[in-house]
Amino acid sequence: MSLPDQENIEFQRVRRNLTALIDFSKHINASLDIDFTLNNLLLSCFGKFLTSRGMVVLLRDQKMQIVASKGIPKDILDKFPPEITPESPDISSQVECFCSASRLLCQPILIGNQPIGYILLGEKFNKQPYTEEEIDFLKVILNIAATAIQNSMMIADLKNLNRRLDSKVNRLNSLFELSKEFGILTEEERIGKLLSYSLLGHFLNSHYAVIYFSDGKLRVLHSTIPKKVIQENFQLNAFIHFSEPLVGNELALVFPLLAELHFEVAVPMVHQKETKGMLLLGPKLDKSIYNTEDIEFITSFVSLAVISLENRRLFREALEKQRLEEELQIAQQIQKNLLPKEIPVYPGFEFAALTIPSKHVGGDYYDIIKLNEEKLCFAIADVSGKGVPASLLMANLQAFLKSICKKEEPIGQATALINDLVAENTSDGRFITFFWSYLDILNKKLTYVNAGHNPPLLFRNNSLTYLDKGGIILGVMRTLVPYSVDEVELQSGDCILMFTDGVTEAKNTDDNEYSDERLEKFFINHSSISARDLVRAILQDLQLFTAGAAQSDDITILVIKVL
Amino acid sequence: MAEFQTSIQDIDDLTIIHLNGYIDAHTYPMLEEAFTNQVERSRYKLVVDFTNIKYINSAGLGVFMAFIETMRGNAGDIKLAAMQPNVFNIFDLLGFPLLYEIFPTVEEAIQKFTNNNEAAS
Repeated sequence: MSLPDQENIEFQRVRRNLTALIDFSKHINASLDIDFTLNNLLLSCFGKFLTSRGMVVLLRDQKMQIVASKGIPKDILDKFPPEITPESPDISSQVECFCSASRLLCQPILIGNQPIGYILLGEKFNKQPYTEEEIDFLKVILNIAATAIQNSMMIADLKNLNRRLDSKVNRLNSLFELSKEFGILTEEERIGKLLSYSLLGHFLNSHYAVIYFSDGKLRVLHSTIPKKVIQENFQLNAFIHFSEPLVGNELALVFPLLAELHFEVAVPMVHQKETKGMLLLGPKLDKSIYNTEDIEFITSFVSLAVISLENRRLFREALEKQRLEEELQIAQQIQKNLLPKEIPVYPGFEFAALTIPSKHVGGDYYDIIKLNEEKLCFAIADVSGKGVPASLLMANLQAFLKSICKKEEPIGQATALINDLVAENTSDGRFITFFWSYLDILNKKLTYVNAGHNPPLLFRNNSLTYLDKGGIILGVMRTLVPYSVDEVELQSGDCILMFTDGVTEAKNTDDNEYSDERLEKFFINHSSISARDLVRAILQDLQLFTAGAAQSDDITILVIKVL
Repeated sequence: MAEFQTSIQDIDDLTIIHLNGYIDAHTYPMLEEAFTNQVERSRYKLVVDFTNIKYINSAGLGVFMAFIETMRGNAGDIKLAAMQPNVFNIFDLLGFPLLYEIFPTVEEAIQKFTNNNEAAS
């Protein structure tokens, strides 16, 4: 072969190489798709070096990962990356170690002087080793490819990041939408449904339960398993200390039955540090597991729901309370109507009365009933307890009294009858202290029975008498011993004060009681003024004493004065 | 507030659910109802036409999850079709393409059902 021929062949070879390089560089930069770029790189090497095996590993998340491979048997691929050993402490020596073991040629893909990855190529078809020239050529190809690979990796990372951002935005949008919607929904069931469906959409699952603890019971708001299964198998007590989300094995450990029902996540609904319910989710249908971010997202959803549920409950309670208040006001009005509308006026006498209930409806009662033209009935009573139950019993007593007065029975027998009726009508240990009397206007005679009531005071000639004859308080038992009856011949200047323990037991801010002594002393000192003024004066003195303290019991005062 | 409507079209054993408007926290119960109705009618092969859907929220997506097992359990399926890019993006983000077949047009979705039927017979 002549020299020019040889030169010509050499020239042709270099030209081929150059053309191949130009062609390669054109194609490799044409796409930003990493798979396309690596595929192109491997195939170009296969064509150039006549080999059919090769792979590319790249440094990602601080680890060498296989990103493309062709023709390499799976058992070899499975050995990558090799274990870190004292002989191959860093990544590059690890790769080299893997290559010599698998009889692969290894060349770094360099950016600057830093390897971003390696190309690993198998034996050539002709079984010859790679020549120095071929390795040089490979280096040039890798130089060109390095930038393209880095660019497409960055694009892939960006795309990934963008997708994650989109996903975050999507989750935030959902939260925002739910926070608006939860404010509007009125039924708990609809809140449960919106919560569970929204989570189904986000996590590709189809198994769920939203359980709300209300009135000490487990209330299933929305669920794929029958409500009965939950209500029959679980007790509320089991969940009151459940305050942190449980996932997978943790859930199976703490609540094995929930895991048996195919739930994988349980998130408590916590409101003001109390567990008010829980959300259960089954596995995702794409088989991926719930990560910390997922659980945080679910927790935010659940928090929104529980705030909405609790607000609704508080609102309903407030409504209920308002309704009760209104009913109490009506009851108070009814009770007020039960009391005498006007105090009768008779020559030679002065009557006055006053009652102040402690909270809306009370257990105090007084009455002045006209039996006939010459006879009046005065009654004062204190039903044990307060509020609606006491006032109901008081209304009862008033009804008995009104009908018995119509019969004009002797007061002793009448008291026995009233006691029997009250005893029949009370079952919960309630009782009534009761004092009543018939006043004979013409003969100025007072006939009375005291059934355990604070003895009324009779003031006559600078001395006090207690009107305490009678018997047992009403309602405790049926009448076994007849009530004693006492008669008082009234004289001009006599003054009788009837009251309930709301007067004598009224407390001041130092927790001291107004006391019988103070009432008696005040009564003695003021017995000369008119009945109406006396009632007012006692009330004023009482208010002076209790100044600032809350009224804890009903206050009732009734005065009869003989002119 | 007619923000969302559905209409139903039966072709042989296929049912096409045409959706129109916005699927949000107000309207998703209507979508749910549309699916419930199909279950009651024992219609399990469904193509959902998204041509006129402008927005879908996660609760709307949840409706598809709530019914997919019922449909597939009865030899049917829910195939999704003709989504606008922003709507497809929401489905894609949450991984729906893994579990659902999504077609560019309603015709292609119908074709897929028909092919399956022929293959089965």
